[in-house]
Amino acid sequence: MQVAPVLEMRDISRRFGSTQALAGVSLRLYPGEVHALLGENGAGKSTLIKIMTGVHQPDSGQILLDGRPVRIGSTLEAQRLGIAAIYQEPLMYPDLNVAENIFIAHAGRGPLVDWGKMYREAEAILNQLDVRLDVRQPARGLSVAAQQTVEIAKALSLQVRVLIMDEPTAALSAHEVEQLFAIVRRLRAQGVAILFISHRLEEVFDIADRITVFRDGRLISSAPRADVTVEQAIRDMAGRSVEQLFPRRHTVRDEVLVQVRDLGRQGAFHGVSFEVRAGEVLGFAGLVGARRTDVGLALFGIAPADHGTITIAGQTVRITNPRQAMRHGIAYVSEDRRGLGLSLPMSIAANITLPTLRRYLNPLGLLRRQTELATAEEFRRRLAIRAPSVEVEVGKLSGGNQQKVMLSKWLNTRPRLLILDEPTRGIDVGAKAEVHQMIDDLAAEGIAIILISSDLPEVLAMSDRVLVMREGRQMGIFTRHEATQERVLAAAMGQRDAVETARWAVSEG
Amino acid sequence: MHTWRQRIRPEQIRELSLIGLIVIALLIFGWQIENFLSARTFNRITSSVAIVGMVAIGQTLVVLTRNIDLSVGSIVGFTAYFVGSQLAANPGLPPVAAIVLAVLTGGALGLVNGLIVAYGRVPAIITTLGTLAIYRMLLINYANARTITVDSLPSWVVELSRQTLFAIGDFAVRPLFAITIAAMVVFQFVLAYTVFGRRLYAIGSNPEAARFAGLPAQRTVLAAFVLCGMLAGMAGFLFLARFGNITAVAGQGIELESVAAVVVGGVNTFGGSGTVLGALLGAFLIDLLGQGLLRWLGISEFWRDALLGLLILLAVASDSVILGWLRRVWAAPALRAEVSNER
Repeated sequence: MQVAPVLEMRDISRRFGSTQALAGVSLRLYPGEVHALLGENGAGKSTLIKIMTGVHQPDSGQILLDGRPVRIGSTLEAQRLGIAAIYQEPLMYPDLNVAENIFIAHAGRGPLVDWGKMYREAEAILNQLDVRLDVRQPARGLSVAAQQTVEIAKALSLQVRVLIMDEPTAALSAHEVEQLFAIVRRLRAQGVAILFISHRLEEVFDIADRITVFRDGRLISSAPRADVTVEQAIRDMAGRSVEQLFPRRHTVRDEVLVQVRDLGRQGAFHGVSFEVRAGEVLGFAGLVGARRTDVGLALFGIAPADHGTITIAGQTVRITNPRQAMRHGIAYVSEDRRGLGLSLPMSIAANITLPTLRRYLNPLGLLRRQTELATAEEFRRRLAIRAPSVEVEVGKLSGGNQQKVMLSKWLNTRPRLLILDEPTRGIDVGAKAEVHQMIDDLAAEGIAIILISSDLPEVLAMSDRVLVMREGRQMGIFTRHEATQERVLAAAMGQRDAVETARWAVSEG
Repeated sequence: MHTWRQRIRPEQIRELSLIGLIVIALLIFGWQIENFLSARTFNRITSSVAIVGMVAIGQTLVVLTRNIDLSVGSIVGFTAYFVGSQLAANPGLPPVAAIVLAVLTGGALGLVNGLIVAYGRVPAIITTLGTLAIYRMLLINYANARTITVDSLPSWVVELSRQTLFAIGDFAVRPLFAITIAAMVVFQFVLAYTVFGRRLYAIGSNPEAARFAGLPAQRTVLAAFVLCGMLAGMAGFLFLARFGNITAVAGQGIELESVAAVVVGGVNTFGGSGTVLGALLGAFLIDLLGQGLLRWLGISEFWRDALLGLLILLAVASDSVILGWLRRVWAAPALRAEVSNER
């Protein structure tokens, strides 16, 4: 029997600036089918979802609903067409109760609320999902799993035909995942088409009827689950083209600068152990939600660790705030330049000297502005910051140049350990190459570097060793030779044996 | 090559344009109103700006950190009355002691604000709205419906508002105004050349980045409120010296005038940019417009408040529009320079 697809995406392309997020992707969603979508960070999954739900418009391509071309101009239109999405962190109105949250999107039911009817209908929908939940309870205090159930009920109340689930299990316990999957199977039996996105391969292979892999904005493979193996899926996700492998110099020295043992923070990560030597670049790889940034924040004292030890140059230290971290020679360049890193209305010079102002005091306790400007000028030359002068506001610079100001600011603290969190996210190719060159130079000067990056080819190209994390746990550390895209990705997706395989391969070789 | 565009930053343009507006207003009023450009007008405006300007300097420090202090009017009133009554009771109190007493009293009230905002994490607008009422209540209780009169004060206090420190032609500069100008110079310097000043800007423009840079945000915000209280206390002393007769409603409305001066003076209400010089020029412009329109159009005193409100709205609206436009004009050659650098 030939079933017609509910939703068909035909040859969809979308570009953001210089990034081709989607390139000619075609996808069909059938009623009563769970369609899993796999792909590394930045493979184009999110862009596709946003196009399906009307957040973005495709540059080219067609969207067909029941075989008829449609235009999805807004989330409201997507809702009206029966397309809904639930996310890892559901969007609730915490002060409204469960029933109100379910029916919040319903317009045109008259100006008055028929409370009795609303509660009855809400209960009916939850019963249909076989879920016990008090519809009069406020959403505040519901577990993430319960909130997702409310979101699903909301979608059902709107006669959903296509349900997109974006990493719905990331914040759930094993038991809750089981309950969610029971609901998913019930929806499937009712003929809903489900697009399921997850980084947990075992779940994907448990629930999906069809598995599609994206990479670099393209569809690489799409096949019924029975025809796909885990290894094959990982290989399809990995094979990212590496245009140019950065020729790192070998600069690792013998001196172990930082040693971390069994580091952990309640609710974020645990059991993280590694060491970094002077002149070494230790990459941190992992997928979204791997909690790599939390390890960086713990080392820098923003969200201090509550477990484990940190030893710097042979001395065990306690780091509970950024000042202490800076005193121990740690610098952290955050991924969020605008939010956490720079003061946009202030000048380049003022931003660079901010953490080290005391160094610029004259005997009277006043700032020596000429010296500040000289420092800034030096960094402007060294890092090739493109700005007419160092007194220009940072807010006026391009992303790449802002990134360089950030780096200058922290290099000026003369760190021994430099933590770089996504240093090249959102900057153009040229600036990216410059940042890579800088990382190599800094390592050559003997600085120990922790490089957190979601760009897998970048981590592999820049790191002497790669630490892989997954959901707050350390999955293994690979040397530069062991670290292939397949192995790192397999570890990041929880295939522990991949780590063993790598070890084995090396001891054999 | 240094062009004038590179030498002058948009923020300085704001101050220059305020001076320009003041000059234009002076010319128009001087042309339209008989005897407007007189020593009397100058004296009236400078005496008033001395008080509001002093408060506006403190308000600037607080607004730079993305906070606001609405209790300054009550602090001015409380200090004026408190110091006045002490002077009436002990006429032998030396001038320096009286001033120190005023500054400390204001500082203590500011400390309460600062502790609640910085460590209690209560939004500044709520905190100081509360203390606005509480400090006023303290004053009403303390005053108990009595009034401090000029006659009860030592003569040196009252003389402060009448003496001439020095004169330029007919225009006499009174000690009160000179004190405020001196405070402005000091704090302009503090903002530009001290670690504390730089931290105020940093914390206001991006609190999170300040935290990442290891700046002591809570202590700095506390210090801003304490200084604001001390300056308001000083303003309370100036208020006492200027008016001599002090009742329980003294200083009411100064919070609005100081916020207006700060905003018109170009201090960003989202923190991070602005100067005390700008705030003082803002206070000057507002008072000039008030005096001028009062006499030119014969508007009533009540219009003054409406005028303040209008100026605040105009300043904030023009801030985003005009400053945005100025920045684009400035950025254009800068960008061209950037492009040519890259070649």
